[in-house]
This record gives sequence, structure tokens and C-alpha cells, in this order.
Amino acid sequence: MAFDAVLNLTPTGVAIITLSGELDASVADKFRSEIQKAADQGARRLVLMVKDLVYMASAGLRVLIFAKQKMGSKVDLYLVEPQEAIREVITMTGFVQSVIVLDEYNAAEIESV
Amino acid sequence: MDALTLPGTLDSLTTIRNYVREMGEKAGLDRKALYRLNLAVDEIATNIVTHGYEDAGLEGDIVISSHFQPSVLTIQLEDTSQEYNPYKLEKPGDLDKPINERPIGGLGVFLAVRGVDEFRYEHVNGRNLHTFMVKIPSSQTQSS
Repeated sequence: MAFDAVLNLTPTGVAIITLSGELDASVADKFRSEIQKAADQGARRLVLMVKDLVYMASAGLRVLIFAKQKMGSKVDLYLVEPQEAIREVITMTGFVQSVIVLDEYNAAEIESV
Repeated sequence: MDALTLPGTLDSLTTIRNYVREMGEKAGLDRKALYRLNLAVDEIATNIVTHGYEDAGLEGDIVISSHFQPSVLTIQLEDTSQEYNPYKLEKPGDLDKPINERPIGGLGVFLAVRGVDEFRYEHVNGRNLHTFMVKIPSSQTQSS
């Protein structure tokens, strides 16, 4: 399943990136460049919509590290609706304590920065 | 089982995952075990391409093969890249640390080793051999 990453920036400065398909080392740069765009536009929060992301290698985790380092450690990073296997990797690697995992999109929480 | 010879580039990763998925399904692995095996092989293949071939200015192939035993599925990657020992690569660092304080590398090998029941690396006659072994649940073993 081909990978895609689409960035939307809300007027309140929330960067919402929708990820789908398989995220491996060959496509991680596309994800990274969307993060870069969000950072360049001064995003104050990063929300990753990952319901349709079926696979994520460590190349994807490295982009999350890049995002935190680029946007600053105070920028909250949300992961919305991760599939079970991806949730397991996030937990196993300890990333779970640096991201906020949500079971569903909660506009009230996410969009009020 | 038939081996596949692929160019040692990142473009081969999708084909490698499709191969592992096919073999894992044949072996009767459950979804979780199959995902972990796929991740393990994908991470090591990525390291072979980026560290073994690209960083060393080399070009070559990756050969992927599989072997079925009644209770174990074995996947093997073979390449001629620079001798590279996954155990000597950068460690992922403290997994309890906030991610913005982490080193950027080492996670791939960590996921590979954790994703299978047995992981082996050997360097034999100028070739790197990575072996991944996963136990097949007995109730799901094929009777063929």
C-alpha cells in the first residue's frame, strides 16, 4: 500500500498530518518534509492522523524524534487512532511517553492550543 | 522455498515485505507475529542498504530466502555489502528518555532482535548472513 502524508494547518496553528499506507525508510523523507513545512509555518502542535497507516518502521520513529527536535520539546505531539501493531512499537520503544495517543479525534482537546 | 535476488536499494523494501508476508501467511503466523517478523527483516534490510552499501559506496544485491520446518519459519537475508555487525551499531539509548533527548540511531536493530524468537548474524566467505527464526504455533502448523 503506497505511502502518503498530507499536511493541513489550522488557523490556530495546529499542524494535522494524515498518514496512510506503509511508512518505511524509502518514503520517510516525504513525512519528514511535511514536518519541516509545519515547523517552518510555526505550528504550535502536531497531530498525526494514523488510522490508515498500516506499517511503520523505525525510519518513521526517527521522523518523530526529528519533529520534537525541530519544533521544540514543548510542542505536543498527538497520535490519533494508531493500529494495534503500531501502538505496540510505540510502547516497546518508550515513545509512548513522548506522544499523546488518542483513540479518536477530539477536536475540543486538539484544536484549542 | 524460492529465493529472491533484489537490488540492494531502498526500493526493494516493499518487495521484501511482500515476500515475508507471503511466507508468514503460509506458515500460519498470527497477525502480530507476522508484523513483528516483517518489521525485523525490513529494519535489517534497511541497514544493509544504508550502512552496508550506500555509506560504504558499494553496490550489490540482497538475497532473501525462507525455510519451513514443522515448528519454525526461518527467513534469511544474504548480501555482499561491507562487513557490518548489527550488534556493534549504535545502541538505541535509554528507552525511558524523552524522544527529543535520544540518539537518532539504533532503534532498527532493537526492533529486529525483539521481533523474532531468534536472530543471528554471521559473516561467511565475504557475505553477510542475517537469520530470523519465528516459532509457528503448533495448532496452526500446516499438515502438508
